[in-house]
Amino acid sequence: MKRSYRGVILLCFVLLLNIICTQQVVNSFFYDRFERVVLFAVCNIVLFPIALWIYFRERDVR
Amino acid sequence: MGEDIKRNNDKIPFDENNYTHNIRKAGERRLDRRGFMKTMVGAAGIFAVSTMPWGAIAVKELTGLGSKSHPKQKLANANDLKIGEAIEFAYPGEHDAALLVRLGENEFKAYQNACTHLKCPVFWSKEEGRLVCPCHHGFFDVKTGKPTAGPPQRPLPEVVLSKEQGAIYATGVKRYET
Repeated sequence: MKRSYRGVILLCFVLLLNIICTQQVVNSFFYDRFERVVLFAVCNIVLFPIALWIYFRERDVR
Repeated sequence: MGEDIKRNNDKIPFDENNYTHNIRKAGERRLDRRGFMKTMVGAAGIFAVSTMPWGAIAVKELTGLGSKSHPKQKLANANDLKIGEAIEFAYPGEHDAALLVRLGENEFKAYQNACTHLKCPVFWSKEEGRLVCPCHHGFFDVKTGKPTAGPPQRPLPEVVLSKEQGAIYATGVKRYET
């Protein structure tokens, strides 16, 4: 059976962005750059619905 | 009905309701494609939730809710202090030593004078025109409070001043700026 691995790859990419955003949040916080902290925290929160959307879209793809 | 179940249970795997007969690989069911995608979505959720406290603190700092308010305290009359001289005072608490320096006719600067290296008291050196920590020869710029030489890495916290009717008041302490 041949499966579509597009969803897996897209979700891996989302997780990579998550890691980058989290790292940026922590670093910006250390240097008191609060605008950047808010920016990347919001990015991280927005990535979750995107991940859910990708999951529901790719769940039943054969 | 009971007999049916019994009859089916005699025969494993079942004919009709067996969904695993086509799985050959060991452990294939444990983490299949869909299970992996679910894990990734869960991880994205955890990342989102875990950055929320940082974001909340940042918003608090940006909106000014987190900045502490300090009492207003009279330090000296402007004319009591000659240009180039300094006095010591305690602000905001009675154990937080600070230094007020008069640099010009209307130019006053005040810093908390615990050295940012190891908390030795920092003094004003009129001859050198800079703030000096005698313990390990740390030097601070009097205009900005930033370290210019020696071991300290962070600036001295600046005390916010206001001048009213010829008297100098301390109204707050600036946060560390890195």
